[in-house]
Amino acid sequence: MKKSEEIKKSIADILELPQDIILDLPKVTMVGNLQIYIENHKGILEYTNSRIRIYTKSGILRVTGKNLLLKNIVVEEIVIVGEINEVEFMD
Amino acid sequence: MLILRLWNYMRGYVIIRIEGLYLEKFINHCIEKGIYLWDIKRLNYTTLEASIGIKGFKSLRRVSKKAGCKVYLSEKNGYPFWAHKVKKRKMLLLGALFSLVLIITATSFIYNVELVGNYRVEEEKIITYLEEVGLKPGSNRYFIDLRKVENLLMMEFHELAWVGIEIKGMYAKIEIVEKAETPEKLEKDIPCDVVATKSGVIESVIARNGDAIVKKGDIVTEGDLLITGIVSREHLENPMYVHAYGEVYAKTYYEINKSMSLVEIKKHKTGEQYIRRTMKLGQLQLALGGNEVPFSNYVVEKSNKTPALWRNIKLPVEIIVETYDEVVDVEEVIDIQEAKEKIHQEAVLELMDQIPIEGEITNTKVDFNQEGKVLNGKIIIEVIEDIAKQKQIYN
Repeated sequence: MKKSEEIKKSIADILELPQDIILDLPKVTMVGNLQIYIENHKGILEYTNSRIRIYTKSGILRVTGKNLLLKNIVVEEIVIVGEINEVEFMD
Repeated sequence: MLILRLWNYMRGYVIIRIEGLYLEKFINHCIEKGIYLWDIKRLNYTTLEASIGIKGFKSLRRVSKKAGCKVYLSEKNGYPFWAHKVKKRKMLLLGALFSLVLIITATSFIYNVELVGNYRVEEEKIITYLEEVGLKPGSNRYFIDLRKVENLLMMEFHELAWVGIEIKGMYAKIEIVEKAETPEKLEKDIPCDVVATKSGVIESVIARNGDAIVKKGDIVTEGDLLITGIVSREHLENPMYVHAYGEVYAKTYYEINKSMSLVEIKKHKTGEQYIRRTMKLGQLQLALGGNEVPFSNYVVEKSNKTPALWRNIKLPVEIIVETYDEVVDVEEVIDIQEAKEKIHQEAVLELMDQIPIEGEITNTKVDFNQEGKVLNGKIIIEVIEDIAKQKQIYN
């Protein structure tokens, strides 16, 4: 981690600010295994029915499942619906 | 999400198919450009399906060139496309409009006039009067001033205390409240007698004006003169006519006979059941699987089912379900004491309705006698009440 990042993190810790804003990290919210919201993504790398890979600040987020559908896709948010089996961060 | 969908529908959107090798790139380019895509579906390795707004679709060409894929239009959706389609079919639009107008005009007529709350005033009279002023089946609800009709009714029928007209869809419901019956009030200078309203034995007479002509212990029947308004004295040449009034308390008797069988036939269900269904279409009845009832002794329970459209608007279809339960008669002897109590209670309840509130109950007499299996009961309640009523003297 770079030095500036470390400073940012400590500031966020001290001021109790949400880290996803300060550090530009993705915020992942799931509703059961039916929906997944990914905020702060950096683009989509792969999209098939059973696997989606999304580039984020903390690495590549891989979502696997069945009948995956991109319900919504805008600059700051992706909504995936379907039967989600796995969510994984890869480097 | 519904609001978003509605918004998209109003703005119009298209479903597109994107063919190419590197489709993720296409999606990323779209995001970058701020083109909103939704419902992205992978059809196969080289094809994607997505929804896109009309505006976005126009600026898609550059993106597709950049990403090296081809975009095909698959489906047009939403209000603008729909409106465009309808514009070409003017007759359809006209028909829709026409039917709408037809429905509105058809429902603006009154089909039924219903009167509620009349006891003394004849329904016929009110209905004919309403017809005269214009409220009748077939008249248009928007051309009737309900408040005016209410006032007219009030003026025409003096017995009414309140009139409320309500139009519920095609039904006009007229609710009326009648004035409480007031005893005839006579002006103080009109000469009158006091007569009995009921038969009874006089208990006390308080003649505040006029001469009492009955005394304690006298038996009077309804309509008998109690206090006369014609006062004659020795020194008077002609009798004086006065406005007689006063209170006359008398013992009145309220009597009731009741009988009850001491043997009650109770029907015990055997558990065997037979259900018959009948469908009723307006006046037409259709039996659904109509067989003979297989029991000789049974009780029937009927229930109607009417599919309601909305609130109390009902379809003219009715399903009548008759449940036949086989029964066996079982004779049961009722305890005589219990029967007596029951008769007594019922009788008192019935008599209480007749006895005026001001009356003072002084005595209750209960007689029972048994004839075979029947118990007869006679209940007499003695009440002291005012039986005075003024009656004008006509010369």
